[in-house]
Amino acid sequence: MTHHTARIARIGNFAAVVFSTAACAALGWAAVALAEGAGSGDVAKGRSVYLAVGCFECHGRAGQGGAMNYPAPALAKIEMPVESFVAYLRNAPNDMPAYTANVLSDADASDIWAFLQSLPGRKPVKDFPLLN
Amino acid sequence: MPKRNSSPDTARRAFLKGATLAGAAALTTPVAANMPVSDAPRANVKAAVPGPRLATVETMPPPKDPVSQSTSGGDFMVDVLKTLDIDYLAMNCASSFRGLHEAVLNHGGNIKPEILTCPHEEIAVHMAQGYAKIEGKPMAMICHGVVGLQHATMAMYNAWCDRVPVIVMGGNIIEANKRGPGAEWVHSAIDPAAIVRDFVKWDDQPTSLQHFAESAVRAYKIAMTPPMAPVMLSLDAELQENPIADAETLRIPKLSKAIPPQGDSAALAELAKLLVNAETPVIICDRMARTPAGMTQLVELAETLQCAVIDNAGRMNFPSRHPLNQSFGRSIIRQADIIVAMEVNELWGSLNAFSDRIVRSSRLNYKPGAKIITLGSRDLYMKSNYQDFGRYQEVDLAISGDAEASLPTLIEEVKRLIDDGKKSAFAARGKRLEVAKTAAVEQAKSDATIGWDASPITTARLCAEVYGQIKDEDWSMVGTSIRLTWPHRLWNFDKPYRWNGVSGGAGIGYNLPASLGAALANKRHGRLTLSIGGDGDFMFVPSTLWTAAHHSIPMLYILQNNRAYHQEYMYLQATAARHGRGITNTEIGTTIKDPNVDYATVARGFGVYGEGPITDPNDLGPALKRAIAVVKSGQPALVDVVTDPR
Repeated sequence: MTHHTARIARIGNFAAVVFSTAACAALGWAAVALAEGAGSGDVAKGRSVYLAVGCFECHGRAGQGGAMNYPAPALAKIEMPVESFVAYLRNAPNDMPAYTANVLSDADASDIWAFLQSLPGRKPVKDFPLLN
Repeated sequence: MPKRNSSPDTARRAFLKGATLAGAAALTTPVAANMPVSDAPRANVKAAVPGPRLATVETMPPPKDPVSQSTSGGDFMVDVLKTLDIDYLAMNCASSFRGLHEAVLNHGGNIKPEILTCPHEEIAVHMAQGYAKIEGKPMAMICHGVVGLQHATMAMYNAWCDRVPVIVMGGNIIEANKRGPGAEWVHSAIDPAAIVRDFVKWDDQPTSLQHFAESAVRAYKIAMTPPMAPVMLSLDAELQENPIADAETLRIPKLSKAIPPQGDSAALAELAKLLVNAETPVIICDRMARTPAGMTQLVELAETLQCAVIDNAGRMNFPSRHPLNQSFGRSIIRQADIIVAMEVNELWGSLNAFSDRIVRSSRLNYKPGAKIITLGSRDLYMKSNYQDFGRYQEVDLAISGDAEASLPTLIEEVKRLIDDGKKSAFAARGKRLEVAKTAAVEQAKSDATIGWDASPITTARLCAEVYGQIKDEDWSMVGTSIRLTWPHRLWNFDKPYRWNGVSGGAGIGYNLPASLGAALANKRHGRLTLSIGGDGDFMFVPSTLWTAAHHSIPMLYILQNNRAYHQEYMYLQATAARHGRGITNTEIGTTIKDPNVDYATVARGFGVYGEGPITDPNDLGPALKRAIAVVKSGQPALVDVVTDPR
């Protein structure tokens, strides 16, 4: 069982990490003005890179968000400016890996940003009977 | 053992009625039978006319070697288990406990305990873990000497970390000269429980039937006394199999359950004073509700104070939709002036933010100066090797005692101190919390709409679809995959059996069998049991489904199939990013693809109804409806849903 134990050892306490929302606040995604560079980037290429480098593993293919040890925020229709987004990737906090330019170029990061901004994001809850 | 003077319970002596000592002669094997056979080479000679010695040997009666007996130690052991009201004995059959196995069937009638056939000992222990949390009493399991116990260990560790009572038994052959060559030697040990002693509360290896009776009753009592935990008895095969030699003197002791310890009354009064005078008191609870009454009492305390409750979900502690439930608004901990932790094992993790970086760091998640009080049984019992106790957390007042047992006194003290002025202030506080709760629920619903029609299916859509199908049933959600919080964000967990906690030790392979154990407990209550589990967990213990089919245990098992050991995928990705060596190879060793597993076909192979793989979210509702119909007919069903990772 050694390999099992080692593998799960860092999963940690369900409750302590799963319900934590502290990281969401720390990330400060919300209420950020649109970037000057809004609209730049290749959406199709951004989608391809988003999937290839595994962003969706934490944030979902639809940018719906997820969780590692802390919640991974929803990124669909991201409001963070592209420059801030790229800077954030270079020095991400908590669970979020920091992506250096060696593994993710500025151009690729900008394309990812464009893809995220193109996603539909939230819809009115009233339109979903299962949620009412 | 001396006889008790009091008149023994005749029911507990029932095993003696058919007992005879006829088989006792089997204990004395004639010397001739044990004579070694010469292995000296013999000449290839022609048959000779028997001489007088050979003729004598060939015509003498066979050595005395009894071939039957009318009673066995196993019968007595079964009577002990019946006295303890053990409903089930989960096991994978093995020769080292064939004596007890046969006695359960033919002496006990396979009733109390009834045998649950499990393809793996880990399944057996996890079934017992899930069962105990719903039913409130332990199940027994038995495993083969040495190797069976080795299989069982990880599940025992989960149960240990989860504070759940399980009666574990294991076969052994104590006397070396009684072991047959080969398997009986490699499956015997001088101290079988050594491998699990760090994560059982008590163990013994009885050397007589009277010893077994007393140790079994003691084991039950210890396992059920908070903090609860597994216990272990090693059973000598001869003791199980051989005739009862001392029937007249055997008796089964009376079980007297220990009253769960209540916290010191003066300390509880002090806590009440702190709570009543606090501006922002917060209760954090984890394995608090030990019985169905626990949730009711915690609701009463919280409503009396109109204070926030953070439920770490180790048990069904607090209704998910209650206005005071702030489990998804943990920032309130930073505002708290009083924090009361009830049966929280690793409080440090709830009060600190930890950063898993090159330089690991942490910071307080609570206000400096806030008073921290613990109420629980954890401080009463701890071991040192395995580190499940977590990092040391400084507190201001540590009240040792079972939280649920302490709540009535605490509630009474709080009510005694509240005047009209306090009531008014509390009501205003409650209103603010209700607003925050409503906002959190609406936020969850809004979040759930993102990617609603996506394929692979989002976990939010999955959980919304499931709830849509079960919300009008008497449902019991008994397990989830790692990090799946949507049920607690979207569903109304409002009864003590709605939720059954988590694994405890985070050992993979828990969710499917523990859910089945919980489903077995729910079966007699007519509840609709469901569980959502990950594919990685499933792959450790898929044969659990056979047990579900074999014993007709109704359970809806929804496989959240993200085709990965996803938590590990994310860790590996983070590590690769840290090392700057590329992040596109992390699927290797972390995914369950190429080939994809067809879990519905696997289920059908085990005799379980299977649906899937479902990739279109619009197919999910009808598939769930069909599966639920199967479950309501009394059978298990599996629905394989291909989902986004988280």
